[in-house]
Amino acid sequence: MELLSIIWSFFKIGFVSFGGGWSIVGLIKTEVVPRWIDESGFSSLVAIAQSTPGPVALNAATMVGWQRQGILGAVLATLSVVTFPVLAICLTGIVGKRLKVRGPELQESLKTGTLAMMTMTLWLLLPRGVIDPVLAAIGVGSFALVAFTKASPLWAIFGAGAANVAFHLLVP
Amino acid sequence: MKKGTAAENPKAPASAGLFFLFFGISAITVGGGYAMVPVIGSTLEKKGWVGEEDFFDLFAQAQSFPGPLAFTTALLVGKRLAGAKGAAAAGLGVMLPPFGAIVLVAALLGQIGELPPVRNFLKGAGATVPGLVAAMIWKVAKMRAWTPFRAISAIALSLLLCLLPAFTLVVFFAAILVLYFMEIRWNSSR
Repeated sequence: MELLSIIWSFFKIGFVSFGGGWSIVGLIKTEVVPRWIDESGFSSLVAIAQSTPGPVALNAATMVGWQRQGILGAVLATLSVVTFPVLAICLTGIVGKRLKVRGPELQESLKTGTLAMMTMTLWLLLPRGVIDPVLAAIGVGSFALVAFTKASPLWAIFGAGAANVAFHLLVP
Repeated sequence: MKKGTAAENPKAPASAGLFFLFFGISAITVGGGYAMVPVIGSTLEKKGWVGEEDFFDLFAQAQSFPGPLAFTTALLVGKRLAGAKGAAAAGLGVMLPPFGAIVLVAALLGQIGELPPVRNFLKGAGATVPGLVAAMIWKVAKMRAWTPFRAISAIALSLLLCLLPAFTLVVFFAAILVLYFMEIRWNSSR
């Protein structure tokens, strides 16, 4: 039963993964937290997804599928994400010649849509309740680093991980 | 030569070539679709399989399809170069390396994930995530060709999605449809 709901969740995620991974992280979170993974587990998952190859939606599917249902879960969850995209591309090959879509206008509306989805992602990921000052500083610092310099997010992710390990060694 | 097919392009690869090309690119690029697409584009151009202009055309199409960007780009490139078989080969090539990487990491975390240093590392790394999303919003917003209409609709849609996360799919698709027709009206009324 759980396997089926994992498949269904990631199938739905495949519907809206337009324009780069960050826009759907919020949706992935509403699907998997707290059912299959907890808050901090989800943040680590996203950090891992960003520092390994591959799109975040696929990585999240593989990870959640693996942790809950082993290798079968990993395979099926990953395939669920791409099921709808594959169908969509096959169908437009058949229907597309009759359907006239105005490309630039569609792309502009999708840009607005994905920007709003990213804002939702940010809103859903903001920490709530008691805020750990070290972790908050890491969040603000990584924003500044990636927004205002050309540094890769990888530096922020690994640097923050190392910094937090060091902090806990020095301040037990 | 807008719709170049395998028959018209003597340099077009077989499915196996596509599979290995995308497998390789997927295995070495970290950071999702926007990191991968430029690498795909320049590699295809160097091999003479898809020209720059053609690739931009495919990339623009890929953005209008649902699905991870790297994946849809691979499918469309594969389809253009070697039909359905090519699409399947390219798509699998993109999917396999991240699948293997995540299974490895997940298996490893199953063994050592509870050790305090590992836990602290993951916690610290996880804490960057809201900051990284905010930075991405900042960058996307800075590059956008803003109009008053786009600004208002982006803010309104953001609020709506934050308030109704349970209805993301419905709200998103309804909004895309409405915005699409409004963009058309706005453009034709100029």
